[in-house]
Amino acid sequence: MTCDQLVRLVALSLMFCAAGAAGIVQGAQDFRRKASMLLKEEPKNPKCFAESKKDFACFWEEAEERAGSVDQYSFTYAYQNENSSMCPLEVLPAAGGKRLFICRLTRVQMFVQLDVQVYREGMQIHNRSLLIELLFLLDPPKNVTVSTMGHQGQLNVSWVPPSLKYMDDSMIYEVLYALADSHVGQVEAIQACSEMILRGLEAGTKYRVQVRVNLDGITYDGYWSAWSDPVFIETLPAELDPLIVSLTFIVSFILVLLCLAMLLSHQRFLIKKLWPVIPTPDSKFQGLFTVYGGDFQEWLGQTSGSIWLTSPFIVSEECPCPLEVLSELNLCPPLSSPPLPPKASKALTLVINEEMVLKKGLLDRESVDRVDSVQTNGWRTHHHDHWLLDRLREVQQHPVPSSQSSLLESQDTYITLSGNRRTEERHMEDSLEEALPLGVLFGSRKTPMSESHSDLGSVQQSSGSGNLSSQSSFEFPNHAWIAKDPGYTYMAVADSGVSMDYSPMSRADDMSKVVIYANDYKNEIPPHRRPFLVRQYPVHDDG
Amino acid sequence: MLRKTCRGLFVLLLLVLEWTRPGLPSPLRPICDLRVLNHFIQEARDAEVAMKLCREGCGLTEVVSVPQTTVNFDDWEKKNATEQAQEVQTGLWLLQQALSLLRTSMTNSELNSHIDNTIRNIHSITAVLRSLNFQEYTPPASTVGLEGTWRVSSAAELLQVHLNFLRGKVRLLLLDAQACQQDVS
Repeated sequence: MTCDQLVRLVALSLMFCAAGAAGIVQGAQDFRRKASMLLKEEPKNPKCFAESKKDFACFWEEAEERAGSVDQYSFTYAYQNENSSMCPLEVLPAAGGKRLFICRLTRVQMFVQLDVQVYREGMQIHNRSLLIELLFLLDPPKNVTVSTMGHQGQLNVSWVPPSLKYMDDSMIYEVLYALADSHVGQVEAIQACSEMILRGLEAGTKYRVQVRVNLDGITYDGYWSAWSDPVFIETLPAELDPLIVSLTFIVSFILVLLCLAMLLSHQRFLIKKLWPVIPTPDSKFQGLFTVYGGDFQEWLGQTSGSIWLTSPFIVSEECPCPLEVLSELNLCPPLSSPPLPPKASKALTLVINEEMVLKKGLLDRESVDRVDSVQTNGWRTHHHDHWLLDRLREVQQHPVPSSQSSLLESQDTYITLSGNRRTEERHMEDSLEEALPLGVLFGSRKTPMSESHSDLGSVQQSSGSGNLSSQSSFEFPNHAWIAKDPGYTYMAVADSGVSMDYSPMSRADDMSKVVIYANDYKNEIPPHRRPFLVRQYPVHDDG
Repeated sequence: MLRKTCRGLFVLLLLVLEWTRPGLPSPLRPICDLRVLNHFIQEARDAEVAMKLCREGCGLTEVVSVPQTTVNFDDWEKKNATEQAQEVQTGLWLLQQALSLLRTSMTNSELNSHIDNTIRNIHSITAVLRSLNFQEYTPPASTVGLEGTWRVSSAAELLQVHLNFLRGKVRLLLLDAQACQQDVS
């Protein structure tokens, strides 16, 4: 043998030795890893596991300071109906200053009970009966492969199962998949199959996949293996499914068409709401803006007065006009007891009506004069007006004493009007109601009047059943002014034109005897009707 | 129309002849699904657990022979299919005898149902083996000194042996059955 051959032989030997040593070291590393798993999961001692159909190992752990030498321990085992045998022990240092005492059986028999005892210096320290086929601790699956297979949100996982004959259909697997940077993942289980499809994954995301194996526990059983080395893979990015895109487009198109149809069907309503027509007074004032550029005074001067007068916006009743309420003229001789004939009462009513109208006309004329001096011609030439005015002047010049005041203040008269003429009274009241659009005639009670007599503003309430829904300014001082001008009875009314519902107020001592007439401005008939009572109230003209 | 009628009549004739054909019964379809055996194994485990809890009225009156359940895969693979089948069939027969003896001496009604179920399962497994074309087994004249047997004296031991026998040798035999291998190929 030459030197070269010797050198080659030595080198090969060293290589084999190194490989063997590496294998031994690796084996030791693997054993330590499995032992650490069993130390956590198996409470019994000694802890035993089978890696294959031919390998079976038992071990126990002892602290360094308490452990003796390996010679102090003995490990015996005996299969059912067989003699016991001794198992040579080996020691392996473990983490945390511990020592592992290991027995590896060379002859493995399954489906038969195995009794194991451990002795230390003749004293039994561990004892256990077990079945080897129920204590498998397999290596994790190898060659774990993960691929996308062209499907979005899916991963295909495949692996090589442990090569154990007769056990393939008894193996179960767990696949762990989680986000690459997450510690929490999901686990999917599968039996007797070496591949799995993961679905429902996020698109374009990196995942970590691991697999472990165990036996199903029917024929064979054991512990879950360690997780395989992680495999990282990124799922396919999100893609727009053509079908989904087309369906989305069609649905959107249909919705747009529906919206357009709705808008077109409610076109007028929407235009009215969004772009309301701003009213302009152009149509009512012809030429005001087009000719005179909005100069109203100039337009008034150039146009005739008839336009202004015929304008519907100019309403005479909107102006406050003083209303003079006349006391009832004693056109007929005073009646002592007989009731007034209907004709007379009607005549009296008519006279009052005419006086009211006349006065109203006069007052209206005055108010119109204040605004414009155009329309008074028609009123002055009325013959009847002259006669009534004369009558009024006579009354003013010769006022009726308060004790013998107007006919209306006469108890008998009032009684006659109210008591015997009930049916006619209603008729009268209806006719009066029509004839006196603005007539306000009421008597007052003491109490309410005393409350409201100094009210210079609006009358908020009235006694009786009526409601005042508009503002009317009444000014009627107390009895003092009656003494001032006792013979004159008038009242100024400033009416805003809104609905008014008066109920007359009568004096407290006259309540039992006096029947009061209530003139409703809005032609509403109050529940209890009474003939009107004219009182002497000097009124300050607001106009 | 006439041709179709003739075809139908011809098919009907074949069916009738097939049903009425005299001769040997057709072979059973091989039962290769191991889930059947897994079901039997689970019932055997339930019976063993129940028997371990029994204290009275659940003992064997005499020592019985039971098959050895030990399986060494190297040794098992060295045997041929015939030897394996004979070993399994012998064991099933022994177990059936022992369980029948236990049934006669059992006074616990709850355990009686387990024993009856176990005996039925053994009959079913025998039928499965027959479906796999295994040779019919001829029982020996005497079981004393029979090779590959143990002697047990308690019901718990008997049911433990029964369970281990099903999980071991019976399952290995079914896994390697030629009839099932032919179906796969």
